Amino acid sequence: MSSFNLDIVTPIKELKLGQVTYLRCPGIDGAFGVMNNHRQGILALTVGEIKISQDGKDEYFATGGGFAEIMDNSVKLLVESIEPSNAIDSDRAQKSLERAKKRKLERNPDFNADRVEVSLVRAMNRLRVSKR
Amino acid sequence: MANLKDIRDRIKSVKSIQKVTKAMKMVAAAKMRKAQERMEQARPYSNSVSEVIQHLLPDVDRGRLPLLDKREIKRKAYVVVCADRGLAGAFNTNLLKIAQKEIDEFGKNQVDIFCIGKKARDHFTYRNYNIIESHVDFWAEMEFENAMMIGRSAIDHFKSGIVDEIHVVYNYFVNVAQQEVRSETLLPLAYETDESQPTDRLYEPSKEELVDTLIPRHLNVQMWKYLLESYASEQAARMLSMENATSNAQDMIKDLTLQFNKARQAAITTEMLEIVGGAEALG
Repeated sequence: MSSFNLDIVTPIKELKLGQVTYLRCPGIDGAFGVMNNHRQGILALTVGEIKISQDGKDEYFATGGGFAEIMDNSVKLLVESIEPSNAIDSDRAQKSLERAKKRKLERNPDFNADRVEVSLVRAMNRLRVSKR
Repeated sequence: MANLKDIRDRIKSVKSIQKVTKAMKMVAAAKMRKAQERMEQARPYSNSVSEVIQHLLPDVDRGRLPLLDKREIKRKAYVVVCADRGLAGAFNTNLLKIAQKEIDEFGKNQVDIFCIGKKARDHFTYRNYNIIESHVDFWAEMEFENAMMIGRSAIDHFKSGIVDEIHVVYNYFVNVAQQEVRSETLLPLAYETDESQPTDRLYEPSKEELVDTLIPRHLNVQMWKYLLESYASEQAARMLSMENATSNAQDMIKDLTLQFNKARQAAITTEMLEIVGGAEALG
């Protein structure tokens, strides 16, 4: 199957994955797939799951959002965080989810609804991806 | 002349201080290297983000982007990036002196301060400045999340119109032997544009919305870079001052050993004179 080059860049690391055949990203307006010879473009990503098919195997990653730059037969994902599904500690993800839920209910004086909502969504996403 | 036991005790204490400074120096060197590595790692991301923004800006109505909005400056905010700990030479003092001078020039009451690091917080709390937020005790396990948190609150502060300009004062890492206090404008964002457009690209969502989500990301990375620069500088400054302390301790040990030997010989001489004197008196 024809393939394209994929790089994932975050502020703390750079993953050069090389040739992959398929990529699925959580776009802001819904998930989208990328294959070889995709139209060029820039698409914003939200918190969610990234699926990558390479050498006939599928891998899943949790991301905190960012954007995808699709160029001529190569894709660069600029995301704030990326974690492969097998590297996520699901117990820890479960705990941070519970923490976020608790914070949402408690409403401390320094409660910031947006921030709690973001951490809740992230924790749920990580937990979901870790079960892959 | 001091007595022998006093000198011996002092040598012992200087030696143990020297051990501490030596250890601190080595720890600082290791931490500095780590910070430098992280600075390298952040570069590809931050370059790519700026590139994309530069490509998008020419096509975007800039009036709709509040973070580029240059307003009349009535009130400013300063993000002062300092360390949690001392024993790093003039690292904190220099920075705080310059930050305070800049703030005072504009007017203490027209400035809000974001304190990063205990030293900054303590300095400005003691002098009754307007502190909006303090971030302390995160340096050891510094994550990108920390930069995001600081970035987000700075952006909110600017967007809500409380301040019309945000500055960052931090130590720039020139090299191991040299750090430089820099003051830079974080917001409103000054931007160069790149008119060379790649053709026929797909944008999702619209270009305006894309830029709107990209700029905060860019600022977060910028903040992350400031934190790393400062951390690397702090460790470099500490390394250098601990090296000086170690060699000063070495000098002190040398002086004290000399003093100790002199005192010991003087004691022996006195004793011999006493014996000789005693023998003569008997003979």
